[in-house]
Amino acid sequence: MSDDELVLKVEDLVTNFYTYEGVVKALDGVNLFLRKGDTMGLVGETGCGKSVTARSILRLVEPPGRIEGGRILLYVPNEESGNVEEVDLLKLSEEDMLHVRGRLVSIVFQDPATFPNPVFTIGDQIAEVVMLHQDLRKEALEIRIEELRNALDKLEGKGGLVSSTRREKIRERLAHYESQLDDPPEPDPKYKKKAALKIAEDMLRLVKMPAPDKVMMQYPHELSGGMRQRALIAMALACNPLILICDEATTALDVTVQAQVLNLLNELKKEVGTSIIIITHDMGVVAETCSWVTVMYAGTTVESCATEELFYNPRHPYTAGLLTAVPKLHENRERLPQIRGSVPNLITPPPGCRFHPRCDYATGICETEKPHLKEISPGHWVACHHPLPDKGGKR
Amino acid sequence: MSEMGPLVKVRGLKKHFPLTGGVFRKVVGRVHAVDGVDLDIYPGETLGVVGESGCGKTTLGRTILRLLDPTEGTIEFDGKDITHLGHRELRHIRRQMQIVFQDPMASLDPRVTIKNSVGEPLVVHGIARGPKMREMVLELLRKVGLNEDHLNRFPHEFSGGQRQRICIARALALNPKFIVMDEPTSSTDVSVQAQTLNLMKDLQDELGLTYMFISHDLSVVKHMSDRVAVMYLGKIVELTPHDIFRTTLHPYTFALVSAVPIPDPRFAGKATILKGEVPSPVNPPKGCRFHPRCIFAQEVCSEEEPPLRDMGDGHLVACHFAGALDFGKSVQQEYAEAAENGAAM
Repeated sequence: MSDDELVLKVEDLVTNFYTYEGVVKALDGVNLFLRKGDTMGLVGETGCGKSVTARSILRLVEPPGRIEGGRILLYVPNEESGNVEEVDLLKLSEEDMLHVRGRLVSIVFQDPATFPNPVFTIGDQIAEVVMLHQDLRKEALEIRIEELRNALDKLEGKGGLVSSTRREKIRERLAHYESQLDDPPEPDPKYKKKAALKIAEDMLRLVKMPAPDKVMMQYPHELSGGMRQRALIAMALACNPLILICDEATTALDVTVQAQVLNLLNELKKEVGTSIIIITHDMGVVAETCSWVTVMYAGTTVESCATEELFYNPRHPYTAGLLTAVPKLHENRERLPQIRGSVPNLITPPPGCRFHPRCDYATGICETEKPHLKEISPGHWVACHHPLPDKGGKR
Repeated sequence: MSEMGPLVKVRGLKKHFPLTGGVFRKVVGRVHAVDGVDLDIYPGETLGVVGESGCGKTTLGRTILRLLDPTEGTIEFDGKDITHLGHRELRHIRRQMQIVFQDPMASLDPRVTIKNSVGEPLVVHGIARGPKMREMVLELLRKVGLNEDHLNRFPHEFSGGQRQRICIARALALNPKFIVMDEPTSSTDVSVQAQTLNLMKDLQDELGLTYMFISHDLSVVKHMSDRVAVMYLGKIVELTPHDIFRTTLHPYTFALVSAVPIPDPRFAGKATILKGEVPSPVNPPKGCRFHPRCIFAQEVCSEEEPPLRDMGDGHLVACHFAGALDFGKSVQQEYAEAAENGAAM
C-alpha cells in the first residue's frame, strides 16, 4: 500500500471520557486507513468505540470526552496544483473544521427518526448544506439568466400586446448577466437559495427518491424510515465529500428496505467516487458492501484486511469468534458457539491485550503486554500475540 | 407433538386501533394491526413470528396474552377460552403465560433491586415472601447464569445481556407454560445474543416451555423455531414447519428471505430487492395485501383475498398461486448449497 492512494489515515487515536465514575478509555490506540474509492467496514460490538472513532474523525466528541492523542490525516487533493495535501484534522482550528465537516467528510447517523430537523422541509435542509459549503455564484447566475429567458419567451408569445420597451429592457439585463458568466459576482441570496434547492433536488434524484419534487416540500415526519435515510444520504453527499461515514445507517431499517439502501450505497460509490466508511455490527452488511474491513474491540483495532480475507482467514481470535457466533441461514445447529463473558468495562480495562479475559488462546504475555497492530501477511494487519494459523489456500 | 391439543388456539383474531382526529377526537380510521389471524401453538414447540416493522407481530403477541383486548376473534389457552375473562380470572391464567420484552432496561424498574424485581411476581401471587422469596429468586438467577452477588444490585449495574437474563428469570418466576419472547435479542450484540439464545434453548429443554418467538431477524428466528409464521400487514401469509431459507411458497417470504445480507463476500450484490415499502395498515390494499409489491400479481390478486391453505404437512400459505410459482433460486439457497459442498467457511 503506497500512501498516495489513501484518503484517510488514523494513527494511534486516543479518546477519553472524563466521567464521575472515572476515566472511560473509549479509544486506546485506534489505527485505520481508507483508500480512495474503497468501502471500509468498521465492525465491532456495542461500546467498542466504532461511533466514537467516527465522531473523533469529525472532531464531534463532546465533553466530557476529549481526543487526547494520535493523528487523523486527511489527504485532500488541491484542485489548483493537482497535488495531494496532507492535513492533520486534530491540528486544525475549529473554524477550519467547519469546512471539513459536510464538505470533505460527512456522516449519516444511525437513527433516521431523530436526525433530520423536524421543523424544516427536506429541501430546505439539504439546500442549507449546499449553501454553506458551495460557491454557488455561477449556478445562481445561470438560474437568473434562465428565468429571464423564460420571461422573454412568454412575452414573445403574447405578440404585440406588450410594449416593446419592456422586452428591450429584459434583453439588456440578459446581456448584462451573460457578460458576467466568466466571473460571476456574489449572488443575490434569493437566487443563491434557488440554486441550492436545485442541487438539492438533483441529489434526491441521485439517491432514487420517488417523486423528488414533492419530497422537497415535505417534512421529515411525512417520510418513512427508508426514505428519511435516503434524504440523509442525499444531504451527506450534497457537497461531494471525500469521505462518507455511515454510522449504523441501516440498523434501524427492515431487511427489505436495508437491502434497498445498501444497494443504493453500492451504486453511489461507483457514480460519485466517494470513499465510504460503513460502521456496523452486522457481518452480512459488511460482506454485502465492503471491500476492506477493520475490526474493533474495546477501543482498539484488532484486525484489518480485505473482506474476503477476513471471512475466510480470520487471524484474531475475537474476529473468528464473532464470525461463528452469528446464526447462519443454512445451518441447523442446536447451539451457537459463543464468546464467553462480556465486553469489559472501559473505566478499568484489562491490562495487556484487552481481549485476553475472554480469549481461549491467552497466555502470560497477553496479560502484561499490549499487542500492536502488525502486518503479519501482505495486506493483513492483526494485533495479537498468538494469531490463529494462516489458512491460506484452504478456502 | 400434534397428538396433543394445542396449548394456544387463536381463531379469527383481530385487533384494530382507532385513529382519532378533529376537535371532538372523532374516530377517523382504524389501524388494522392484526387482521384475522388463525394460529395454533403446540406444547413444547417454539413458534417463530417474523415480519417487517408495523406488520403486527408484537400486537399479536400481546393480544394473545390479553395485554391488549382483541377486537374480534377468540383465544383459547390450555383448552380454556380466555377471550372475555375478567381481571380476577385473568390473573390466575397469567401465572402460566409470561412475556419478555425487547428492551430490558425499560422493563426493569431502575430503583428496585434485582431481588425485588424478580421476586415481585412471587409476592403478588402470594407464593413466597421474605427469606423464602430470596431463596427462590436465587435459584432463578442461578438458572439464568447469575449468582448471589447480583441479588442486591440495581439494573444499571448490569450489561444489556445480563439484564435480558434477569427479565427471563422474572418471566420464569411463576413456572409458566408459555412465554412470548418479543424481540428478546434485538438490543444485544452478536456474541451476547448467542449466549441468550443458547440459554433460552436450554431452559426450554429443562422446563418444557412453549415459546412464541417474535423477531425481525430471520436467521435468529430460523435458529430458534420449530415452525415459522410470516406476517405481512396484520395477516399470516405463510406458516411453515420447513426451513424458510429453502422452501418457501409465498412470494413475500421469498423476497424477505432474499433480502437478508449473506455473511460471505462472494455472494455480495446478488440479493433480490423488493420494491417499495409496506403500505399503511390504516388502508390495507384490497385483495391480497401483498399484490402491489408482488411480481407475480395477476388480476385475481387485487380482487380476492387468498385464504390460508394447507399445502401438505402443515405448511400453510395464503397465496392464490401457491405451489405454482417459480421463484428461481435465491442467493440464500445458492449459499446453502455452496456451504454443503464445503466451499464456504
